[in-house]
Amino acid sequence: MLVSTPAIILHAFPYGDTSKIVRLATRDLGVQSVIAKGAVRPKSPFGARLQAMSEGTAHLYHRSHRDLQTLSAFDVTNQHASLAAEMRRYAAAAALAELVLRFAHEEPQPVVYDGLAGALAALSEVPSEAVPYAALAALWHEIVLLGFAPTVDACVRCRGTLADRTPFSLAEGGLLCARCGRGAGGGALRGDDRAALHAFAAGRWDAPPLPAPHLAAHRRLLVRFIQRHVADDRAMPALAFWEGLT
Amino acid sequence: MSVIEELTAELAKLPGIGRKTATRLTYHLLKQPAATVTRLAETIRAVGERVHPCTVCGNLSEVEPCPICADPRRDGSVVCVVEEASDIGPIERTGAYRGLYHVLGGRLSPLDGVGPDDLRVDALRSRLGNGSHVREVILATNPSMEGEVTATFVRGVLAATGVRVTRIALGLPMGGELEYADGVTIARALAARREMGEG
Repeated sequence: MLVSTPAIILHAFPYGDTSKIVRLATRDLGVQSVIAKGAVRPKSPFGARLQAMSEGTAHLYHRSHRDLQTLSAFDVTNQHASLAAEMRRYAAAAALAELVLRFAHEEPQPVVYDGLAGALAALSEVPSEAVPYAALAALWHEIVLLGFAPTVDACVRCRGTLADRTPFSLAEGGLLCARCGRGAGGGALRGDDRAALHAFAAGRWDAPPLPAPHLAAHRRLLVRFIQRHVADDRAMPALAFWEGLT
Repeated sequence: MSVIEELTAELAKLPGIGRKTATRLTYHLLKQPAATVTRLAETIRAVGERVHPCTVCGNLSEVEPCPICADPRRDGSVVCVVEEASDIGPIERTGAYRGLYHVLGGRLSPLDGVGPDDLRVDALRSRLGNGSHVREVILATNPSMEGEVTATFVRGVLAATGVRVTRIALGLPMGGELEYADGVTIARALAARREMGEG
């Protein structure tokens, strides 16, 4: 059955002499692996369309019990070429793609798709100084949409009100109130940092400006949260690359 | 595991060769005269033993330095940076380039675990160090998202050297037709348009 669906290319790699295997995030079918036959031939109708992070409409022959679908065409609406012009943008987009590739399903998840599309647009377009914020917002929000939301509105343990200075319990996946957080190890989040975390989880990158060490701490917290609650300590090379870069 | 299964398993490790093709190749080899199979095996062994990356440019060669680096007729003021040694052949076949090369040994691809430390960028920077005659570095990484970001990264690393850094042009292929070109390529071709000279 020929299906047309909004899609984003997460990863593409050569297959044989002339074809490509493409991993797609699709709005209507979830994450799909497709083969683009003859895609690297000089006169292939795919041309330059099958680039990582390109967004458009995928036309694919889909059978529900097949692991590898066949891509018929891909109409690009946004190539997000500006991601390649700045390493930090690209690294964040790659980490985002890795997150979706690993943890989205082969079933319709339009919210996850829309979050990915919005995040890529933000990463492509925000001013350079906002890239670290857009990256944190993109990744935290996608984690939320994938169903691994951290608890940032109330105490993760007792649902009590949060104090001004609140520790983040990595094990429990959220902030702790003053009583539950007594004696908790690790750093605590103060006003601006907590507001920023709240904004990032909601997908907003317009958080209050944070000093560079605080941004680094936010990146560390995000990576550790993903490793603990999402990735089960499996290696995530693109996420590690993003964390190490900025 | 029998030797037939072993050969099939080894062939199946090659890029683009699946289990079925590996089996077909194995049985094809079994039908060949023993001398043919021995010649193939010896050639594979010789390639493994004698071919090494050139310590200067990273090109694959049986001699050190490689014939391109050792050729005094080459223009030592220009270095063309490519992703893989296999990218040198197509450029050489054009006959339009007489400079030197530098093989990065891949391209940035965080999803595949390939980061800056996996590329021969420090070696490139060293080539451009004190006493170098290099005046221009041409970034000829592939026109893909990963190739573009690799070019961006190398440009950043070379910024402090003061060497002119250029990027190969992207756009429509010779003999192609606008009507059949994809929008991405046409957009790139428009962005990279140039003034028409008289020559």
